[in-house]
Amino acid sequence: MAEGGLEGFICPRCMKDFRSPQNLITHFERSHSEEQDLLKSIKSIYGKAKKIFKLDEQDLEQFRKELNLERNLVEEPQDPGPTKSYTDYFKEVRRDRLEHRTTETNKLIIRLDRLLQLDGSDRKLHEQELVAWIDGTSVTRCPSCASSFNLVVRQHHCRLCGSIMCNSCSYFLSYETAEEIVTPVKTFNGREHRSSKESDSIRICQHCLDMLESRRKAQVEQMMQPIICQLYSHLQKSKQQIQHSVDMYSKMHNSISLGEATYALQDLHSLRTTIADKAQMIDTLSKKIASLPVDPNTPKAVTLQNSIRKATSVYIKDYLLSQPPPPTLEQLEQIKQGRSLKNADDDDLIPRERLRITKVTVTTGWSPANVNNERTAPEDADPLLEQMNNVRSYIDQARKAHRYEEVASLEENLKMLKEIYRKQQREKTGRKSD
Amino acid sequence: MNVIAAVKAYVNKMTEESEPGMKVLLMDKETTSIISMVYGQSEIQQKEVFLLERIDSPNYANSTGLRYLKCLVFLRPTQQNIQALCAELRNPKYGAYYIYFSNIIAKADIKILAEHDEQEVVKEVQEFYMDYLAVNPHLFSIGLPTCMLSGNWNPSALQRTVQGIVSVLLSLRKCPTIRYQANSDPCKILGQRIDEVINKESSLFSFGQSGHSLLLILDRRDDPMTPLLNQWTYQAMVHELLTINNNRVNLSNVPGIPKEMTEVVLSAEQDGFYARNIFMNYGEIGTSIKQLMDQFQTKAKSHQKIESIADMKNFVEAYPQFKKLSGNVAKHVTVVGELSSMVNKYNLLDVSEVEQEISSQADHSAHLQSVKKLINNDKVREIDAAKLVMLYALRYQNHSNNDVKSLMSILKKRGVSDSLLKNTVNILEYAGSHARQSDLFNVENAVKITKRFIKGLSGVDNVYTQHKPVLHETLEELMKGRLKEQLYPYIGNGYNNGRYQDIIIFIVGGATYEESLTVHSFNKINSPSVNVLLGGTTIHNSASFLLEVEQAMRNVERTHT
Repeated sequence: MAEGGLEGFICPRCMKDFRSPQNLITHFERSHSEEQDLLKSIKSIYGKAKKIFKLDEQDLEQFRKELNLERNLVEEPQDPGPTKSYTDYFKEVRRDRLEHRTTETNKLIIRLDRLLQLDGSDRKLHEQELVAWIDGTSVTRCPSCASSFNLVVRQHHCRLCGSIMCNSCSYFLSYETAEEIVTPVKTFNGREHRSSKESDSIRICQHCLDMLESRRKAQVEQMMQPIICQLYSHLQKSKQQIQHSVDMYSKMHNSISLGEATYALQDLHSLRTTIADKAQMIDTLSKKIASLPVDPNTPKAVTLQNSIRKATSVYIKDYLLSQPPPPTLEQLEQIKQGRSLKNADDDDLIPRERLRITKVTVTTGWSPANVNNERTAPEDADPLLEQMNNVRSYIDQARKAHRYEEVASLEENLKMLKEIYRKQQREKTGRKSD
Repeated sequence: MNVIAAVKAYVNKMTEESEPGMKVLLMDKETTSIISMVYGQSEIQQKEVFLLERIDSPNYANSTGLRYLKCLVFLRPTQQNIQALCAELRNPKYGAYYIYFSNIIAKADIKILAEHDEQEVVKEVQEFYMDYLAVNPHLFSIGLPTCMLSGNWNPSALQRTVQGIVSVLLSLRKCPTIRYQANSDPCKILGQRIDEVINKESSLFSFGQSGHSLLLILDRRDDPMTPLLNQWTYQAMVHELLTINNNRVNLSNVPGIPKEMTEVVLSAEQDGFYARNIFMNYGEIGTSIKQLMDQFQTKAKSHQKIESIADMKNFVEAYPQFKKLSGNVAKHVTVVGELSSMVNKYNLLDVSEVEQEISSQADHSAHLQSVKKLINNDKVREIDAAKLVMLYALRYQNHSNNDVKSLMSILKKRGVSDSLLKNTVNILEYAGSHARQSDLFNVENAVKITKRFIKGLSGVDNVYTQHKPVLHETLEELMKGRLKEQLYPYIGNGYNNGRYQDIIIFIVGGATYEESLTVHSFNKINSPSVNVLLGGTTIHNSASFLLEVEQAMRNVERTHT
């Protein structure tokens, strides 16, 4: 049988394998009766989902089938087209430009720091020592607003770069703000305030102010980590964990539905409960995000928070709740019979699917091994028995940690050990009887 | 070749490259349409995009941002956008920027942008070629309501169309041979411009399979009949009677419409019922809807009988819980209900029957009679009456007993608006026999007519879908390798190996949903050996087509009528 067919049957997550709406409905009804016990907490979402599934999913299914047929006929899968990146060029241009700006800003900061340390007495002189003031004799108009200087409109100098401007074009940096700017953001408050000695401020031009402010803004924003970010990253982490569990779940579900004995049904059930618990957790998290208080200056945050909430509930509804339920014991029995008889009841579609799968697995050379539940009591201190006990306790531990891959491989180990042990015993008894 | 999948693939790439985190998507008017054609809001939210913003909205510049968001920027490479983006980067509202342009951008513009990124917020700058509207997997539109101005290309529309088609070719990784309709200058100019770009950007177009794909550029004027006809398949019918604009249908004019239904979204990507019925005819949709309603009914254990579409409407309204559950079905019931009421109110079945006969059979006196009868009927809308006269005028333009004059006087007497009357003249000027390639060769024309005549005799099962667009025959001939080089020459040193695997048809002056159906059926039969993709400057219905005609013929001297 072709690889494609094999894939089609095995994939349990998408319900494509249920070939008719009827089967799908029964499947969904089962799915929901199961889920009710597990997902009481998210009942509201679930209730809606249940109804929608019953009505729409079968249509969707039909549609999906048709679409698949059509796609098979008409279209090959589409890779994303070519792209062209300008990122390197962009960064190169930016680097050249920013280097200049950064050095300039740093120069300003150094001057500002020195200005703050000046004493009040002969300040003007010291100020001019720090930066040369532009000679104003030939400047007749303010360079930024072009009003001509006279007795009323007087020349002023920027204390940071020494350029000339009129009073209305001047900006004033209070000592406190200046203090904040020269102090590294992290250690602010740690430094002693010197502002008390001077109540006035530093006159600067717009250009210098811009440079200082944008640096300050960038620094502050780097430090800021609003609560929504923490909650959201928590949400995403939980989602990743769930994804892990869901992948494991579908793998186990697959294997069990095939009648393999690698995984235990009880483990599947408990994993399902775990998924449900986590679903509840992210549901709560998203509600928390949606109800975070919002600064009235940022109305977008409201939209953002509601969108996150909505997206999460869609994710739970359409993805987590649509995982197929574990097979019941009866079904499991049927599957096993199907495997041995290769002649399952064709009225029910699920066994039929599985029958086909069974054939596939047989041709791939997989042979079932019966689980031997007979436990040998550790009468004597046989190292083999000891090891078996160890393995059993490992299995318990792995199960508790939901490491079902490990459970499966340990079970395999245990089986081998048992096999060897039985052989030994037989040999012993054989020797005895000799 | 699936344009929807191509655009989706790019969007996915965009959302994945920016690494996990809350995201905002910043777009312009056109890129918003491009994305909304393939993804609904709830789908894009699953990709962590929680906010959608428009850079060209008047409030955007003054709005406050959220520095903890990552900003995906998806814009067309226009000068306004570059300026707006420069302003944005100077005062960034968001923490990090991933910039994607929908088409080829000048390096100088990148430099300008880089110089404005003083806070080093930009992380990526790339070109992602999706500068067109993906309507269906095999159908795209450039989104230009009109493209001709006074008989020639509107220069900005030409520029936009070249960009659009280039991005289609890139997104599908095709570097095709180009052929164009010989008698149409606009087609030739477009082909040459595309060829220039392909040659200039040869490194981008190095897919190395040019022999197998073809871009065939056609002129709407070669088939003016198709956009004038009433349609009976779902998508085409909705567009003809209610108008689909970027997958949205405005129902606000429908009397008594519930508030949530004033605008409905019809997207085959998100709506299973629509996807299944998009190419179904009017009768079949009715059946599908009835089936769906029957399902609901049994589920509700209701004993109410559903016989007519009016009953269905009542049923849905009587069960508010259903309305909630099946917004989708309620939507289609509303749409189909509105279609059916229009069909009855305006005698569309009778109108369509005559339209179809004129378009696919030749019987002058009978057709003249039917047209006269219908345009005298008060139930028939003015536009339908005018369209009937247009069809007649186009069909029998060179017939010895042509009687357009008396039909026009009937229209005048009816009080048909001046603009419609003018358009009945315009259409002959726009696409009369002088402008059509097929009419230039009388022999071919005669064969075509007899062919149609025979078709008409051999028992047509549906009188409302007899008509086949000219595109149908063009495709057939292309398939057989018989498309004449004389009529459809090559651009550059193209060569004719006769067989193409991928065919992109582009119609200057707009495609129609009827042609989309033609292509769909053609693909169904011939896939996978041949795949056809259809595109147009827009997707026309008769109303928008008449606007195009009016625009195209503005200030053009009448020389042919």
